Amino acid sequence: MDLTINEKRVLTALSQSNPVSAEKLAEKMDAPVESVIQWAHLCAEKDLVTLDKDVTEVALLTPEGEIYAKEGLPERQILASINGSIPMSELTKNPLSKIAIGWLRKKNWIIIKDGIVSVNAEIVIGDDEIALQNPVPGTPACKELVKRGLVQVSENTTWKISLTADGAELIKEGLDLREEIVNLTREQIMSGEWKDLPLRKYNVDKLPKKIYGGRVHPNQQILDEIRDILFEMGFTEFYGSIVQNSFWNFDALYQPQDHPAREMQDTFHLAEELPVPDGWEKIRDIHMFGGNTGSTGWGGEWNYDIAKKCVLRTHSTSLSIQYIAKNPNPPLKAFSISRVYRRETIDPTHLPEFEQLEGIVMDKDLHFGHLLGFFKEFFGRMGFEEVRFRPGYFPYTEPSVEPEVWVDGLGWVELGGAGIFRKEVTAPWGIDCPVLAWGLGVSRVSMLRLGLKDLRQLYKSDIDWIRGSPVRRV
Amino acid sequence: MPIVKLNNEYLTRLTGTDIETIRANLPMMGSEVEREDKEQTDVQFFPNRPDLYSAEGTARALRGYLGIETGLPKYEVKPSGISFTVDPKLAKIRPLIGSAVIRNIHMDSVMIESLMGLQESLHWAVGRGRKKVAIGVHDLDKIEGPFSYIAADRKTKFVPLDYNNEMTMEEILAEHPKGKAYAKIVEDFDLFPLIVDAKGRVCSFPPIINGELTRVTEDTHNILLDVTGIEPRAVSVAVNILCAAFAEMGASIESVNIEGVETPTLRPEKRNVSVSACSKLTGIPLTAKQMTELLLKMRFGAEVMNDDTVRVAIPCYRSDIMHDHDIYEDVAISFGYDKIETSLPPSFTVGKPHPVQKLYSMVRKVMVGLSYIENTPFTLTSENVSYGMMNRPENPDALHVLHPISEDQTIIRTDILPMLMESLSINRSRELPQNIFACGDVVEKLVTYPKMAAASIQTTADFSMIYAVMDSFCQMMSIPYVVKESADPAFIPGRCGDIYVSGKKVGAFGEINPDVLVAFGLEHPVAAFEMDLRGFVEKE
Repeated sequence: MDLTINEKRVLTALSQSNPVSAEKLAEKMDAPVESVIQWAHLCAEKDLVTLDKDVTEVALLTPEGEIYAKEGLPERQILASINGSIPMSELTKNPLSKIAIGWLRKKNWIIIKDGIVSVNAEIVIGDDEIALQNPVPGTPACKELVKRGLVQVSENTTWKISLTADGAELIKEGLDLREEIVNLTREQIMSGEWKDLPLRKYNVDKLPKKIYGGRVHPNQQILDEIRDILFEMGFTEFYGSIVQNSFWNFDALYQPQDHPAREMQDTFHLAEELPVPDGWEKIRDIHMFGGNTGSTGWGGEWNYDIAKKCVLRTHSTSLSIQYIAKNPNPPLKAFSISRVYRRETIDPTHLPEFEQLEGIVMDKDLHFGHLLGFFKEFFGRMGFEEVRFRPGYFPYTEPSVEPEVWVDGLGWVELGGAGIFRKEVTAPWGIDCPVLAWGLGVSRVSMLRLGLKDLRQLYKSDIDWIRGSPVRRV
Repeated sequence: MPIVKLNNEYLTRLTGTDIETIRANLPMMGSEVEREDKEQTDVQFFPNRPDLYSAEGTARALRGYLGIETGLPKYEVKPSGISFTVDPKLAKIRPLIGSAVIRNIHMDSVMIESLMGLQESLHWAVGRGRKKVAIGVHDLDKIEGPFSYIAADRKTKFVPLDYNNEMTMEEILAEHPKGKAYAKIVEDFDLFPLIVDAKGRVCSFPPIINGELTRVTEDTHNILLDVTGIEPRAVSVAVNILCAAFAEMGASIESVNIEGVETPTLRPEKRNVSVSACSKLTGIPLTAKQMTELLLKMRFGAEVMNDDTVRVAIPCYRSDIMHDHDIYEDVAISFGYDKIETSLPPSFTVGKPHPVQKLYSMVRKVMVGLSYIENTPFTLTSENVSYGMMNRPENPDALHVLHPISEDQTIIRTDILPMLMESLSINRSRELPQNIFACGDVVEKLVTYPKMAAASIQTTADFSMIYAVMDSFCQMMSIPYVVKESADPAFIPGRCGDIYVSGKKVGAFGEINPDVLVAFGLEHPVAAFEMDLRGFVEKE
């Protein structure tokens, strides 16, 4: 049987005197009574000892009670000082009179008439006076004294501790009384002494205390996983400004200036303006009549002042187009994961800002089949085995596609949009090879992977959710 | 995107197949079935295909896609003999009008509903809320040509649709529901657009409301169409899509003479496209013959000119065809995206992270090593959270959005620490200690740049503790810093420091001022630091 050193000491002490009170045992063991009782209880759980509890009431005099026990109750003292009768005015000079007069009258020891106090004839020793010398809890006289604040009654619990037959048997077998070791010291380790020491055994059924380490946010972890996949596939990462002018956010992407997405209710507009780059006339011409791209263009007017106006980027395609404008030589594979902004009211499935993954592949001889092939590989690595492709529409790509992945329980889930950049988009920057472009709402991927119902959890996170969210998911 | 409500019985009758086949094929044509029941199928189409916004248009496309009826739909147009004059005073108001006459139409309530739905969707997609294009249909038998499109006095009276009494055009703008909804398009002009017949009877006040006189009902058999607007291509697209839909209903279409021009013609536009260019872009190996067949399925006219050239006739309603690539996409859709042979892009490139993201990754590694939990808060915030509750003066370089959606999101963050305070506030009932950090973009003036911040809430959070964390962070990040006394009011005076690198202040740390704690509803000490990371980004 595994016993702690203290339990063993209790048994050892009991082997010398049994049964014994807790106080005696404590004295013997030179330990606080409370500890000894606690250790005895642990022994009792193992049926080695029994504990008998005895609760008694004890009445003790208060400091005031102590004084009166010696000198008599105030009314007795006053009474003794009166010789037959005394004027009230005289009596009140005695400091004890304040307490005493009330009691003298209550006990009917005096009569007050016309300001003269006279002592009554027969006065016996009261029960309270007897009790004051030896207060017995529970008696009416004792209760009276408790009310007067002269006696205090408290509970006194005593424990009687006795060995059981099992306990006695165990003692007979002999107890190792050496201290159990909790933490090994340097000396014990180096000398090898630890091998012979009684090491405290731990209870493996007891759960450990919870600790929380530092960790990357669950959403960021998924974003990092996506970044790693793309690095493995040879993609370079790009990054850019949250603030874009409408030229880069819309016009360069062949979004007509009267497109509903550009309006105030969908996009966060700013009062600031940023200059439109050189060569903007090509974009104007393309919008108005197709420029020299073989396109008809949108028709209508194109306004330079609208193009200057700044917005919070509504998609990271605004960064893609600037990246290829700056790096027009193939081959090129690049991506970015960036916050994008839409003027949406916050609810469980809509947020005014969220992460968008945006990627481009530019090379001679690329075609639509390569874009679909890329998606199969990419989604496969993300753990989505089944992918299907539906026609899509974006003003800046043609052909366009909406890839969908199969999610058990949900069916086909659309995860973004893609296509080949239109000539109207690439031609102004001197690019004449195909540019495969795709954008994915990665928050949606995160929701699926993390099993979230509310997108807000990603940005206004409950710390217990982060703490409890496993790093490795199965 | 508009949701088009399609009556199942009508759609299947027009298409010539059952509803299950239709529903299964719609997604692969580029649309999404939003809702379906016994009577109706609600479908969302893309904004570039307004020709599909009716049961007639959808059925036409489906018949091709399913091989029931392929090739260019033939729409004959005869002259109606009806003419329109256009008042030159409209030049600055709403100069353009398109029109057509539709004869021998027999519409039941389902067809009328389909027509109204088409009109609504066109107002949205082509008309940009009636500004660019507005449509009116009139019972032609109630009125007589020739018609006039005039700039009329604002006090001109007529009975608007759904009303019994005459109203002036001004009253209509002020009182009629449609008037109130669209008033802003015309209210600033001295004269208002008006369409009247030979006897001066009012047909329509475009783009606001028709007259009650010409209301279209099941008893209407001849229709006058008017499409007014400000952009010629949009006006003609709307006329073509509507006429094509009427033709699909079985009506005959007649042209109208507008200031000497017979319109519409509903004639297809022709383009010669390259077979090899199409193959090269889509990755689908094609012969000219195969490409022709695929195009016929999409209701184009197509004939082989030579091995590499197909002559394509683009139906008058296909306003989305702007470039050869638009035709190539239809070839791919017709072929079936799922049948396209896929392969990985063969291009060899070497990947690498962006220096800012690389820096963020390092910050994460170091802070996680110091037992801090990452947060990824919003970048949209308010002056109140960023400055007011932080006990700091407002930052004049903060960027304000023009039309915030709520008072919690009026600026882009210039600091990250307030976001962490907000996070501690959200989590105030959670177990302590809480050690959190965040790294990410902030914006000042128009410049986006990287920052990081960390905060610890616990009974023992103090200056020395956070100093040690900041020191370890800087050491791991190779940031040689100097600390000077700080006057940052977000912290307790005498218990904070400013962080300097190369003589420039890059951050601050210390014990958060209890006024700030109380503002965020926190009841325990918080020690925190924040740093501008601009100086530590590798050169690209």
